[in-house]
Amino acid sequence: MKQFIFEAKQKQFLMGLMALGAVCLVLSYIFEPDSIAEAGFHQRFWSNLLHNGAFFTGMAFMTTFVIAAFVTAYSGWHVMFKRLWEAFSLFLIVGLVIFVLLGLGNVFHLHHLYHWAAEGITDPSSPNFDEVIAGKAGFLNNGWYIGGTLLIGGLWYFIARRMRQLSVQEDIDGDKVENFAYHRKIRFWAALFLPIAAFTGPALIWQWVMSVDAHWYSTLFAWYSMASWFLAACSLTILLLIYLKSLGYFEKVTVEHLHDLGKYMFAFSIFWTYCWFSQYMLIWYGNVGEETIYFKERLTHYPVLFYGNLFVNFALPFLILMRNTTKRRKGTLVFTAILVFIGHWWDYFYMIKPGTLITAQEAAHAGAHEAAQHGAAGFVAGFTIPGLLELGIMLGFVGLFIYVVFHHLSKVSLDPVNDPYYEESVHHEVQPYE
Amino acid sequence: MSASVSRIREPLVLGNKSYHQITEDLVGPTEKTPDRMWVIAFILSVSLFAYGMFALIWTFYFGIGSWNLNRTIGWGYDITNFVWWIGIGHAGTLISAILLLFRQRWRTGVNRAAEAMTIFAVMCAGLFPATHTGRPWFDFFMFPYPNTRGPLWVNFNSPLLWDLFAISTYFTVSLLFWYTGLVPDFASVRDRAKGIRKKIYAFVSMGWTGAAKHWQRHEYLSLVLAGIATPLVLSVHTIVSFDFATAVVPGWHTTIFPPYFVAGAIFSGFAMVQTLMVITRKAFRLQEYITVNHIESMNKVILVTGTMVGSAYLIELFIAWYSGYIYEQFAFYNRVLGPYFWAYIGMMGCNLLSPQVFWSKKIRRSVFWTFLMSIFVNIGMWFERFVIIATTLAKDFLPSSWSYYWPSWVEIGIYLGTIGLFFTLYLIFARVAPVVAIAEVKHILKQYGDQYLGPNAKEHHQEQSEKAH
Repeated sequence: MKQFIFEAKQKQFLMGLMALGAVCLVLSYIFEPDSIAEAGFHQRFWSNLLHNGAFFTGMAFMTTFVIAAFVTAYSGWHVMFKRLWEAFSLFLIVGLVIFVLLGLGNVFHLHHLYHWAAEGITDPSSPNFDEVIAGKAGFLNNGWYIGGTLLIGGLWYFIARRMRQLSVQEDIDGDKVENFAYHRKIRFWAALFLPIAAFTGPALIWQWVMSVDAHWYSTLFAWYSMASWFLAACSLTILLLIYLKSLGYFEKVTVEHLHDLGKYMFAFSIFWTYCWFSQYMLIWYGNVGEETIYFKERLTHYPVLFYGNLFVNFALPFLILMRNTTKRRKGTLVFTAILVFIGHWWDYFYMIKPGTLITAQEAAHAGAHEAAQHGAAGFVAGFTIPGLLELGIMLGFVGLFIYVVFHHLSKVSLDPVNDPYYEESVHHEVQPYE
Repeated sequence: MSASVSRIREPLVLGNKSYHQITEDLVGPTEKTPDRMWVIAFILSVSLFAYGMFALIWTFYFGIGSWNLNRTIGWGYDITNFVWWIGIGHAGTLISAILLLFRQRWRTGVNRAAEAMTIFAVMCAGLFPATHTGRPWFDFFMFPYPNTRGPLWVNFNSPLLWDLFAISTYFTVSLLFWYTGLVPDFASVRDRAKGIRKKIYAFVSMGWTGAAKHWQRHEYLSLVLAGIATPLVLSVHTIVSFDFATAVVPGWHTTIFPPYFVAGAIFSGFAMVQTLMVITRKAFRLQEYITVNHIESMNKVILVTGTMVGSAYLIELFIAWYSGYIYEQFAFYNRVLGPYFWAYIGMMGCNLLSPQVFWSKKIRRSVFWTFLMSIFVNIGMWFERFVIIATTLAKDFLPSSWSYYWPSWVEIGIYLGTIGLFFTLYLIFARVAPVVAIAEVKHILKQYGDQYLGPNAKEHHQEQSEKAH
């Protein structure tokens, strides 16, 4: 079957997930943890929006990046399922809407996700004045939060859309295939996107995610979180491919392709751990207070998040995917992909939630520095570990993401017959040594 | 390997080669007497090496005082050169192991020489810490053997010690990997040799007959070694970066160092491969094996890694400002606008800006430009290490002790000596072993030979036929 039909049943199910997500989101607006409830920040709601927004938008961004990297590197094996990745990349536009919402929240002080967005933070005469943050105001400010997001994210979306258009056009317009005209054009945009992504990706990650701990900084942070996004996208690719194959689509995507995706999941889990370790080890070894505070907070108050992160994102995929056979067996592959997907969602939870909670506590108990300095004490629903509402919201976003993907998938033929590497991908075989 | 190869790909073996012709072309250089150019190059290299040895003996006799180290810079030229060489020693194993995993077929044309280069570069690098431990005669303390010194241990908390383990492991695995690939090729040389040459090559080819069992073992071993080598490529320079980043020195203590050092290492390694390849293919007339396509691929790697390194420079610079930490800000201000500004310009110019010319396909495929750029990058990566080390140390926390450093003739001599050693070894290698992996090129001939692929292909693969169904 070359044409994906987005059936009503699937739509209903995905709508159901989204409805569940929406309900949970509303509930998280109402059920604020006690320690910050009286301030009325609705921090749980906003931090959930940020967490899922960053996670799912990033997946779309990294998918675009991977398409660009693969095209540039003459990769042939993946073209059999490139339509799926192209559909992933178009989720970027939805992500941008979420971030504009968050940015407007900054402007109108609807939330206290970012300490740097607090009123009077850069004004020396204000009691809220923070000298360190004032020094960063050139980057951390409301205008650039929305402006940078729109500018950079818009550029990403533009290129992602352009690459997909050309790729789809290549299918329809068979005449020009002889001299690979479309492919060469895709190559141009792909090559262009790589440096753009390399320079702008970190800028948005710092702004969106790293700045929830407004004082803290780490040069490796962007590369580390980009690895996390890629793994999430890779695991979701595996899950969706196996699901769509079970419906009869993508019949030319064989166990060989899944094996290679499994390899990517394995290798990048190690790479993610490498980044995680490099960041942690150097900060631990250096023992500079401004840097260690990040891990001190997380190790003290969020041990489950901290160790769970390593266990699910390193130990399990490393051990399970080490053997070739596990990467070729659908059962284990699906199991591991679900783990890795949730694991990296967990990773973003771990990056975002502790910082936002401290920010809220500090703002709620302004003046009472005691409380703020001790960080989050005890169990805080929706922050210490993901609660049921958070899981519901994740499912809602999964529903939204897949809905967008399926919507775009149903618009085009799944079989990129005029891709120059089509034959290579059809006959793709993984051999133990080549 | 996939059964079909897209027409969009370029051939990797030109000149309508047969298997026999490949053997002739690649074994040939080992069978002739060296030409005059080789002899001149060899004499030059050995002389440089001898000068380096002289400078080293001078150091041993008169002590480290003959170097220009001063009150803030206790690490100068030697560690710069050490890191430079170690970085260069990354391309070979990357090509053999990681590009193998990524199924990049063009690796077959260049992997042999790149691996050889890796091994020689690591040897040059090893010379620096080995002679700079203060009391080199106690170097054996660092190796893991039963402790005979009572409670006295080496400092296991020191990244310098981890370095020793990482580099010696890397060296061992790279050597084994390289040698494993050489065995079938040595057998090819042996089969054509006579007299004493035959005896020698028979010995080094370990009785290889090309039996199916031999190939099976060979491929299995290669796979295992590739598996071990892949994390090693990353770990070696990661630990080298720890030498700096674990210290609380502003400008050194930054978390991006590990992956950024690895990218830089690959960058400089490929530049050195290009320098050597451009000369080798010309000298041995290997243009049909190390094609312009190979050169272009490597230039792309240089462009990618150069831009990665460049983005890391900018990330560092930005985060230094963003951190709000005045010492960090000063360290970077000092790097860019301080007394060593020329080194920073050299680093940025050669590493981030100049590789950008490779966006042009014409320049990527030009041998002249490739050679020029490879030299630029080699210089730029040297500057990078000098910037990180000298600039950072020159101005420490105590302004009264600030200093300026420039190496003495002894230090420069040792560095020149390692360049001599490197080229001496490479020249010997190019004489005694096939510089292109014969067996691997033959392995891809039927798919990537120009009689099978590209415009001259006589037999096309079934291309469009299968799309019908």
